[in-house]
Amino acid sequence: MKKITISDPTLRDGSHAIKHQLTIKQVSDYCAAIDKTGVPIVEVGHGNGIGASSIQVGLSGESDIRLLEAARNNLKHAKLGVHCIPGFATIKKHIKPALDIGVDIVRCASHCTEADTTRNHITFVREQGKQAFGVLMMAHMAPVDVLVEEAMKMESYGAEAVIIMDSAGAFLPDRVEIVIGRLCDALNVEVGYHGHNNLGMGVGNSVVAARAGATILDGTARCFGAGAGNTQLEILVPVLERLGYETGVDLYRLLDAADVAEKELLLSTPTVRSISIVSGLSGVFSGFTSHVERISAQYDVDARDVFFRLGKRGIIAGQEDMIIEEAYKLHQENLRKKSGIPL
Amino acid sequence: MNTKQLAMIQEDCARICVNPERFSVLKNESILITGGTGFMGSWLAESIAYLNDNHRFGIKLTLVARNMDRFRENQPHLASRNDIFLLEKNVRDLIDIPEDVSWIIHAAGTPDNRVHSSDPLDVINTIANGTMQVLDASTRLSNLKKIVNISSGWIYGSQPKEMSHVPEWHIGGPNSTLTTSAYAEAKRMGETICSVYKGQFRIPMVTLRPFAFIGPYQMIDKPWAINNFINDAINGGPIKILGNENTIRSYLYPSDMANWILTALCEGESGLVLNLGSSEGCSLREVADLICHCIPGETVVISQTLNRKPKYSIFVPDVTKAREELGLELSVSLHDAIQRTIEWLKLRQ
Repeated sequence: MKKITISDPTLRDGSHAIKHQLTIKQVSDYCAAIDKTGVPIVEVGHGNGIGASSIQVGLSGESDIRLLEAARNNLKHAKLGVHCIPGFATIKKHIKPALDIGVDIVRCASHCTEADTTRNHITFVREQGKQAFGVLMMAHMAPVDVLVEEAMKMESYGAEAVIIMDSAGAFLPDRVEIVIGRLCDALNVEVGYHGHNNLGMGVGNSVVAARAGATILDGTARCFGAGAGNTQLEILVPVLERLGYETGVDLYRLLDAADVAEKELLLSTPTVRSISIVSGLSGVFSGFTSHVERISAQYDVDARDVFFRLGKRGIIAGQEDMIIEEAYKLHQENLRKKSGIPL
Repeated sequence: MNTKQLAMIQEDCARICVNPERFSVLKNESILITGGTGFMGSWLAESIAYLNDNHRFGIKLTLVARNMDRFRENQPHLASRNDIFLLEKNVRDLIDIPEDVSWIIHAAGTPDNRVHSSDPLDVINTIANGTMQVLDASTRLSNLKKIVNISSGWIYGSQPKEMSHVPEWHIGGPNSTLTTSAYAEAKRMGETICSVYKGQFRIPMVTLRPFAFIGPYQMIDKPWAINNFINDAINGGPIKILGNENTIRSYLYPSDMANWILTALCEGESGLVLNLGSSEGCSLREVADLICHCIPGETVVISQTLNRKPKYSIFVPDVTKAREELGLELSVSLHDAIQRTIEWLKLRQ
């Protein structure tokens, strides 16, 4: 039977959905519940990863250290993972303390064309005898040849797996099949897939990824995650099992953990809202949604227009200030139109 | 490095210099090594220091490297010797070589594939332009006797599956469209540059194509399978095999490496091309099992690739030519090489 390793970033990607205000109690309760299910990897922390708490992408309610300690205390079986974007995360200030707390896996992420930035972090983690995965974010923005090249770089730095992250939920199944298939051909290490649900493709794309050779799949309880949410974990697992994959996850306990997530974490159940569909279609990171909505309201412009304009500019995470720029430009254009001044 | 580690290196040097007369042409000569503080340079420096100390060779050694700080810190016993001179320079900027130099070992260019991936242009620049620079400077030496160019076994490209050992005559080549081929392609170019200088300037030239090594002085964090395995095992395991466990590699112990290089320098006819490595091919699974055997306790080996069999590769040299032309033999088995490496690393702790 083919095996799939499930990685659960509910307490990391979900942080986006509550503006990074995860509490110690939420982390403890969910970790205690998910630890009973057999899910082998649980990712915890700020939505943009360790060290990312900032005015630009959002300040955390709790420090990384406290969140990770709470998780570690409640994970007896699952490995504890962190997301790490070099730049936000530095080796000395963030990675080393995290490893000291007992983090097992560091998922070193970069924009899909910038794998070079992960070299020192991956190397450091491997030197410490811990697991390092490479993560290529916003993978829809690069041609498959570029993704292969960048993934090979991560492999050469020592990444033990490379995860393709569909951060904007923009992938369609054909594309997933090509990308994952090519990576599996080119790499010696495992390939993983992290889906988002903007176009309703979360579980479907993950299944396609598994069929194309991916062996690590990410999913979150109740889709708890950025924008339209992630691949829904408690659906993904039974679907995979029904298709003949072995996940090692106990369904009933997983459903119980999802109930805990719904009760403890979710302010509202994620749905694929209109704005999330636009985020997926425009290929802009789902995590931008709340910022785009807020800033568009401020400038009295249509958030959908802002999303498409950001998509045209190829905006990526970390460039949140561009939202203001585009909203302002749009606002100015609208004013000119109204007053009859030529653009 | 502590005294116990140093003692191990000295034992190995004694093995290299078991027949010192073989290197007698180097007596009272001046040798320059580029890439002089790396793994290869360090072992050559140890060997030459041993010949000077124990057999009164009187060799003057100049090591060229772009940064000497780490060398001074880690190998003060070499850095502080009065017969070893440190020339801190990028090989690309090596305009003048000390005029008494009569032998050169050109070993510049890191084999670290993390650097190849992240800075391929610098890799190409250092290898191709650096080689040209060294050879250019060498044309101005009045007493140059020989240059050994350290190329790479990767210049053969992917070793054909039906070829268990790749011989020097094999004309393969890396995939020139891949960024990751930068190192191998640059080394190929380096060989061609050497051939041109040999032809146009009649510089006596020997080319060596190194494969893989394991032994003291090797950085355990280097991203190569055996290093990772040993690192995993020393840290309490398990040993993780990434990729196909049937991938075949061979590893030469560095005392043999130094012996082969010095012999090629002394006895190799100009134009000679030799593989530098062990012909004792082993699958990654066998290597991991050997490491488990060398470490007390219950280290386990896990193969990390689920559901698919990644392509396996072979990287093992045919060393018949080295044996026949220079009488070079393997004196340390893979098992002993691993055992000594682990022992040396443990002494570090």
